[in-house]
Amino acid sequence: MVLIQVIVGGLLLGAIYALFSSGLTLIWGMMNFINFAHGEFVMLGMYTALLVVVWLGGGPAAFGLAAAIALFALGVAVYVLLIRHVVRGPMLAQILSSFGLALLLRYTAFWIFSANFVSLPPTSLAGTISLGGIYLPIAQLVAGLVAITLTIALHLLLTRSTLGSGLLAVAEDRAAAMLMGIRPDRMQALTWGLSAGAAGIAGALLATAYPWSPSVGETFGLLAFVTVALGGFGSVLGSLYAGLIIGLIEAVSAYWLGAIYKDIVVYGLFVGLLWLRPQGLMGKA
Amino acid sequence: MKKYLAQPASAQRVSVCLLAAALVLYPLAFSGAFYRDIGVTFLLAAISASAWNIVGGYAGQVSVGHSMFFGLGAYTPLLFYTLWGWPPLAGIPVGILLSVGLAIVIGLPTFRLSGHYFSMATIAVAELIRIFVGTWALVGGAIGLQGPAMSRGWWDLTFRGDLPYYYIFLAVLAFVLIVTFALERRRFGYYLRAIKSSERAARSLGVPVRRVKLQALALSAAFTSAAGSLYGVKTGFIDPDSGFGILVSVQMVIFAALGGAGTLFGPLVGALILVPLQTAANTWFGGSGSGLTFILYGGIIVLIARFEPGGLFDLWHRFAPRVWRRVHAA
Amino acid sequence: MLLEARNVSKAFGNFRAVAGADLTVEEGEIVGLIGPNGAGKSTFFNCLAGDTLPTTGRILFDGADLTRAPPEAHARAGIGRTFQVPTTFADMSVLANVMVGAFLRHPHRNDAREHARRIVEMTGLRAEQPARSLGTPGRKRLEIARVLASEPRLLLLDESLAGLTPSELQDAIALVRRIHQMGVTIVIVEHIMEVIMTLTRRVLVFNQGRVIASGTPEEVVRDEAVIEAYLGRGAPRQRESS
Repeated sequence: MVLIQVIVGGLLLGAIYALFSSGLTLIWGMMNFINFAHGEFVMLGMYTALLVVVWLGGGPAAFGLAAAIALFALGVAVYVLLIRHVVRGPMLAQILSSFGLALLLRYTAFWIFSANFVSLPPTSLAGTISLGGIYLPIAQLVAGLVAITLTIALHLLLTRSTLGSGLLAVAEDRAAAMLMGIRPDRMQALTWGLSAGAAGIAGALLATAYPWSPSVGETFGLLAFVTVALGGFGSVLGSLYAGLIIGLIEAVSAYWLGAIYKDIVVYGLFVGLLWLRPQGLMGKA
Repeated sequence: MKKYLAQPASAQRVSVCLLAAALVLYPLAFSGAFYRDIGVTFLLAAISASAWNIVGGYAGQVSVGHSMFFGLGAYTPLLFYTLWGWPPLAGIPVGILLSVGLAIVIGLPTFRLSGHYFSMATIAVAELIRIFVGTWALVGGAIGLQGPAMSRGWWDLTFRGDLPYYYIFLAVLAFVLIVTFALERRRFGYYLRAIKSSERAARSLGVPVRRVKLQALALSAAFTSAAGSLYGVKTGFIDPDSGFGILVSVQMVIFAALGGAGTLFGPLVGALILVPLQTAANTWFGGSGSGLTFILYGGIIVLIARFEPGGLFDLWHRFAPRVWRRVHAA
Repeated sequence: MLLEARNVSKAFGNFRAVAGADLTVEEGEIVGLIGPNGAGKSTFFNCLAGDTLPTTGRILFDGADLTRAPPEAHARAGIGRTFQVPTTFADMSVLANVMVGAFLRHPHRNDAREHARRIVEMTGLRAEQPARSLGTPGRKRLEIARVLASEPRLLLLDESLAGLTPSELQDAIALVRRIHQMGVTIVIVEHIMEVIMTLTRRVLVFNQGRVIASGTPEEVVRDEAVIEAYLGRGAPRQRESS
């Protein structure tokens, strides 16, 4: 019984991993760029939720939206001010830019918020619910379901809408897209906004159910890498499957081996993937 | 004399000689413990950054997890001592061997793929090792390991006072720089720079790209491991964070990048600027100083990436011609 | 027979960029490869150079099967190539660029430097100039110099003469001729008919991944299938009626 609870809990958390990982995979597939600061975007989403609750006293819908908007804006700003200029330059500049940004965001958060773990005051999603004998915090359940919905929505946006085709066109062939009247710069800024926004919402969802500190950025960043590596770079659907799998593996490892070892399992999985199947489940290499 | 100095090659030679002399004489001129400590810290930083520079600066393969080699080098001497009472000196070559092995294990699969895979792998593996070591009681777990409290002989590398360490570190730094200089001038150095510029073009000219990258990484790992060993024996203590922590990796990168990644003296210059700055920050702000330091580091890295990826070296070359012209016109 | 490409195909998913192309080149020839954009010439070149793995077919160079060999092996065997978009090593000087090529056959720095200097002189470039300060014509010339330093027996030129002024073009044609006289076999992809007519004695025409015509430049230019490929159906009839 406990095992089933662990599994379900893992899948729900994995859904949130899927959501923020799809943001990372989007940037990778679109611009061949790895955002080392992506975990920090999630972390900032969590703190945005906290600030909204503490200052404005909103509910999950309010701070969820606030996190989405704030991080969307941040994503666009980061693209316009920084990424746009380094993306056509040497690899060193590209990697340093997002890596440096990660440090900047992470340690500024440490400076402002201190290293203490915090959690949201109880929201309308407090309490547990009993489903077929297993007890789940309502917040976790709602967070997980919302995450799955949003991830699928993102996938549909990319594959079925005109906007999505524009984004994919730029990824495919920038010059050709320009000839068709699509503005690559705008599309890429939009992609960064979407990516960061997804991370932000994921952060807000996580905040409803789990405590955190500025250190989670680093952990989530690596988790996002592992998820994207497993699911395939560039595939949102792949991130969905991979996120669920990773969440599951993480939860079961923690249950069987202990909390400390779950990280080793997950990172070990990543290294194994690099050796055996770098293109992941559904991606192009 | 003026004419001699006006030629760039001779001016360079003179500068290097002056630098060498300054480094050799420094601890004799500044004999206080505080100054010697900064000197030793600077040398260690310069060695690590120069080691990173070989694969990250010259070959353009950006490792942000080089602490894995540093940590291996720091742990092995102290481990040999803790487990079997062996002199730490014996552990140093083992650390180097392990690091080279690890370098090959990481490089083989990732160098087939794009540069980002390699960078991601280095972060993940460094973290993996850090967490794993923290759980392994044999190597000290979260508490770490200690070295000899009392010296049983020179092979324990446990000296009182900083002076012996200073000159040992200086010798190692000189060795690393000489090796880098030698490689820079030969085919290997040209191949490294070609790979950094365009792997595709390099391949089309017969450059064995994957092999060269592996060699660069292995060499870099060996030197980084040596730096870690020096740190371990000097401090007499190591734990997962001081050995394998991300801050160790970041420091190597930023020292090299600030001074000029891919240049011989770039890492030295970066260390020369940032080590005193970091020490000052720690002294003024105390514990919170380290938090501030890393906000600063993050900011500096972003600025370097955005405006001058070639670091101060490139910046100097952009402005120096104008300065030279004005000096000569006067 | 120096180079033999048999039934080479390259498919990207459902799209067949190259579909059963054949090419034989004797030592000492200069062969031209023309065709409209998107016809598959560059992809075919990439297969010949080892940059792309052909889906089917074989590529034999001097008897050795290089079909699945990586680009480095092609270069060592003696196949050199230039790129349609020049990929010079921007952070290095002209001389250093050429030295990278020279190091293939001259592992020691002084030999490589001497060899590179001779090539730099021959191509009319300035040794100490930073590669990034070169304009496109200079970069194309540098690419040729660089690959020449690796002493290829077969040189694949991918639109290396495009975008030049008339006088630059004459210089470039003279350079290619000189390279040919040094004994290098050349396959050249070009859109500029003057280059094809004056330099090559045999031309293959690509369209939609296949070779649709081959012969001397004069023959090929008059071939109906070729005209149709470039101008579309109905063009020959229009010419007749006017």
